[in-house]
Order: sequence, then C-alpha cells, then structure tokens
Amino acid sequence: MIEASNLTKRYGSTVAVNDLSFTIRPGVVTGFLGPNGAGKTTTMRLILGLDNPTAGTVTVNGKPHAQVPSPMHEVGALLDAKAVHGGRSARNHLLCLAQTNGISRRRVDEVLGVVGLSDVAGKRSKGFSLGMSQRLGIATTLLGDPEILMFDEPVNGLDPEGILWIRNLMKALAAEGRTVFVSSHLMSEMENTADHVIVIGRGRLIADCSMVDFIARSAGQAIRVRTPQPEALARAVAAAGGRSAATAEGEAGELEVSGLTEQRLGDIAFAHGVRLHHLAPSRASLEQAFMELTADSVEYHAGLPETRQPAQIGWEN
Amino acid sequence: MAALTASPARPRTVPADGYRAGVAGTLRSEFTKIRSVRSTYWTLFLLVAAGVAWSIAYCAGEASRWASMAPQDRLGFDPTQSSVVGLALLGQLVIVVLGTLTLTSEYSTGMIRTSLTVMPRRGVLYGAKAAVLAAVALAAAFVTSLASFFIGQALLTRTHVSATLLQPNVLRAVLGSALYVVLCGLFAFGLGAIIRSMAGAMTAAYGFLFLVPQLAKALPSSWYADIDRWLPGGDVVNAITNTRQVNSNPHLFSAWSEFAVFGAYTAILLVLGAVLIRKRDA
Repeated sequence: MIEASNLTKRYGSTVAVNDLSFTIRPGVVTGFLGPNGAGKTTTMRLILGLDNPTAGTVTVNGKPHAQVPSPMHEVGALLDAKAVHGGRSARNHLLCLAQTNGISRRRVDEVLGVVGLSDVAGKRSKGFSLGMSQRLGIATTLLGDPEILMFDEPVNGLDPEGILWIRNLMKALAAEGRTVFVSSHLMSEMENTADHVIVIGRGRLIADCSMVDFIARSAGQAIRVRTPQPEALARAVAAAGGRSAATAEGEAGELEVSGLTEQRLGDIAFAHGVRLHHLAPSRASLEQAFMELTADSVEYHAGLPETRQPAQIGWEN
Repeated sequence: MAALTASPARPRTVPADGYRAGVAGTLRSEFTKIRSVRSTYWTLFLLVAAGVAWSIAYCAGEASRWASMAPQDRLGFDPTQSSVVGLALLGQLVIVVLGTLTLTSEYSTGMIRTSLTVMPRRGVLYGAKAAVLAAVALAAAFVTSLASFFIGQALLTRTHVSATLLQPNVLRAVLGSALYVVLCGLFAFGLGAIIRSMAGAMTAAYGFLFLVPQLAKALPSSWYADIDRWLPGGDVVNAITNTRQVNSNPHLFSAWSEFAVFGAYTAILLVLGAVLIRKRDA
C-alpha cells in the first residue's frame, strides 16, 4: 500500500508534482499514466524518498520510506535500468545491494535465475543490452521478495518478447497479492496490463479509476462500419438520431458511427437494405482519448459529463 | 523463455522480527562495491608502486652519492624520510582519485538512486562508504609504508646511517605517511560528497592540497610564516615524515599537531558532506 496526500514538488519555479493524492492498493497492477514530463518519475522518486517533497506526505506501508526497517523486503523499485555501475558484474551488483538488507548470496543466484541472467552473472553490466539491463533491474526489485513493486517505464525500448515477459511478470506479481505500480506514457501498453489507472498531466491528478471504467468511458460508443453504400447508411443513421463521420484514416466506405448501439445500427442497416462488410466497436479512440485527456486536463474536465462518472472514479483538477 | 513462468514464490526471504537494515550490512555492501570494480585495484596498485618505486629510486641514489656527500649533507640526511616521503607525496595524488570516485561514481552512473532505495538511511550509507574507504586505504598505505621503509633501509645499509623502527620518531614517520594518505582519501571523499562530480571534486582536492600551498608562497614572507602551519597539504608531509629536527621548518607545529590541523580540515569536509547528502535530493 502506497499512500500519497497532497504531494507537491517544486524545482525552482517549475511545479513537477502538484497536490497529488492517491492510494495504491495491493493485489492489482496499478498503471501510472501521463505524457513525458507529467511528473511520473518525480512522484516515484518522492515515494522512495530520493527527493524531498515541497509539501504533502507519502508513505509506504504507513511509514515514510526512510523509516521502513528493511526496505528491500517491503519495496522493490526500478526507476532506471541503466542506473548501475557498469564496471561491476551482475552478481556483484545484486550482492552489494542484497547485503545492505541482510539478504543471502543464495537469493542473489536464485533471482538471477528468475530473470534469466544466470549465464551472464559474472559479466560486467556495461556490456548489457537494454533488455538485459531491464532484467537486472527487475532482479534488484525481486531480491527482498517485497510486497510493493514499482517500475518506471519498464517496457521502454524492449523487444516484443521482453515486453511480454515483463507484462506477465507484473500480472503474476499482482496475482500473488502484491502491490504493483507501473508507469507508462503509452495507454495501449497499460490497457493490456493494468487493472487500475492513475492518470496525471502536468503534475496534477486527472483520473484515478479502474481500467474497465476508463475504457468504457474513453472508448465511448463509437462503432466502425464498412459498407459499399456509405451515403445511404449515413442518411439512415441520421434519421435514427445517430451521428456518422468518415474515419480518421479516410478509407472509402468506412464510417465511424456514434449515438447508436451495435445492435441498433445493424437493424437500421438491414431495414434500409444497406449491406455491411464490417461492424465493430472502435478501439482506436482509447489512445486518442488518453492524449486529449492529458493534453489539457482543464478543458477535458470542463467537457466531462458529470452523470457518467461511476462512483469510484475520482476526478480532480 | 524459462523466466516467463518462474515468478518468485511468496516471501521466503522475510527477515526475522525486528530486523532492521543497518550499519553491519551496509559495511559489507560497501566492501563488496569497492572490491568489485577495477578502478580500486588500479589505484591501489599505483599507490603501492609509487611509494615503493620512490623509495628504491631515492634511497639507491642517495646510497651511491654517499661517498661524495658533504659532511653537512650527511648530517642532515634523514634515511626514514627518504624512504617513506614518496608514499605521502605521490600517494596523495593517487588516493584522491579513489576517494573522489567512491561517491562520485555513484552519482555519475545513477547507482546512488539504487543504493539509497535499498538503504534510505543516508547517514548510514555515507558513513559506511567513508569507513570502508578508510579501511582499504589504510591497509594499502600501511603495507606500502612498511615496504618502502624496509626496502629503503636495505638499500641504505652501506651508508651505515640506515634507520630502524625503534629509533626516535621513525615509527611516527612510517605510520604518519600511511595515515596522511588515508586522510587525503577522506578529504577527497568529503569533497566528492559536496561537489558530486568527479572532475569537480578532483580539481578541488588537488587545488587545496597543491595549489593553495603554492599560492601561499606568493604572500609576504612574514605572512607566509604565520599561515604555513595552517595550510592543508604542502608542508604537512614534511612535518609528519621528518625524524630529525635539523631540517624542520620552524614555522610548523609539531608533526602530530600538523596532522591534527589537516585532520580537522578533513573532518569539516566530511561533516559538510554528511549534512548535504542528507538534505539534498539524490
């Protein structure tokens, strides 16, 4: 459990984190989303006590991180996979970290096996690829078998195999009842991993809700259809009270329809004798919704229909 | 990918009740850090090599010139200083590198963030680093000073003035040259904590140890005479390694007092570094 209340961090005149309050719960993967420079890394640094907050507090299992008796057994954090001394071997790197918390050599070798680095354990880490560095960083977080794990942009620069590995690892860790907190600037990545999302923009909290709710709201009711008779379908949709528009790609015969359910749209097309070659809910708008959301949080907040907010969505500005 | 399925089992490494990560583990950790990078071995090798090489070159040279040396020069000759002063003069150059690297390499690589995440009690981390640096430097410097002394005296045997450890002030010079090197390492370590960049900390360390004493010589001689004993570096080496009173600079304090002056500067830097590392964002 990580709890932040009114967390604020200023660097000179720049406000990196602005009055942020949230709770990260165990047993789920919590995605931490925001564009580059939104304050995600700063927030994680504040959680770990690397930076001192200008105002507000943040606790890890009820205590400031610096007061946690055995930090590696409670929090494992990977902020920057390249933040290692490249001249040290992978095993010695892990060993020197393990020793601070009284963790055995045996555990070091075990964790090297878990992340698949046993074969290169004696090699200096400056020769590691980004994927190997990420694995070494993840090994660091697992050493103390902690309840809380934090990863800052863990899939950045990884190949598909590495991404899949990290995704499954995070899900497995959460399934074991741990608190998993992972940041990303890609909505599409989080969609496949996170159960809960916290969205920030310019250091402010924009959304704190479950992924299901976020998708339901953001994806809206848009339906993508392809038909050889687009004009006829557009007239029929308008007559039924829906809206249609050409898709963003401008493909001939493709329309994006909103204001109607999939079932109703199919019935209307049938009634008007319009042939459909494709009918599916539009998912492309999720990434777009996220970008709009974070591009200017204030405007988005103003345009948000209040009635559609489920109770657990906390919108702040 | 074998790792895919192997998520770690539930807590197996949970510490005993009341366990608190602290000084003992951090000392072990810092020792692992210092022994697992090549720069440590290079600098310590250079330290030993420089000290011993000086002793061989200087003492062999003096021994061969002995027959033709003037009586006053023979009288002023200090066989102990001849053999160990090289460790202090050259060793300070070398140990400053190790001292600054100890902390600044963590900042330049970003390792400091990982270190502080696993050991967030910054004072403990800082103290353990300084202690391990001091212990490693002391071991290397003490071995070097003993080796330099005995090799030097062996080379000086035919002058019949070679020293033994039991003669007055000899042990002090042998120990002092090693301790001076350790202090220089800590001096640089403190500067590293304050400045956090390797280039900056090394420049500052060499500036204080070499440039300031040289610049002070440009002062009017009466001022210099008053100031000399308070300077870090410079004449401290002479005061600490000298076993005769003949050559001694009259403006300096006694050997251990000069040592205390330099120790005080080092302590100030270490305390300042400790305050800053606790206060600043990592």
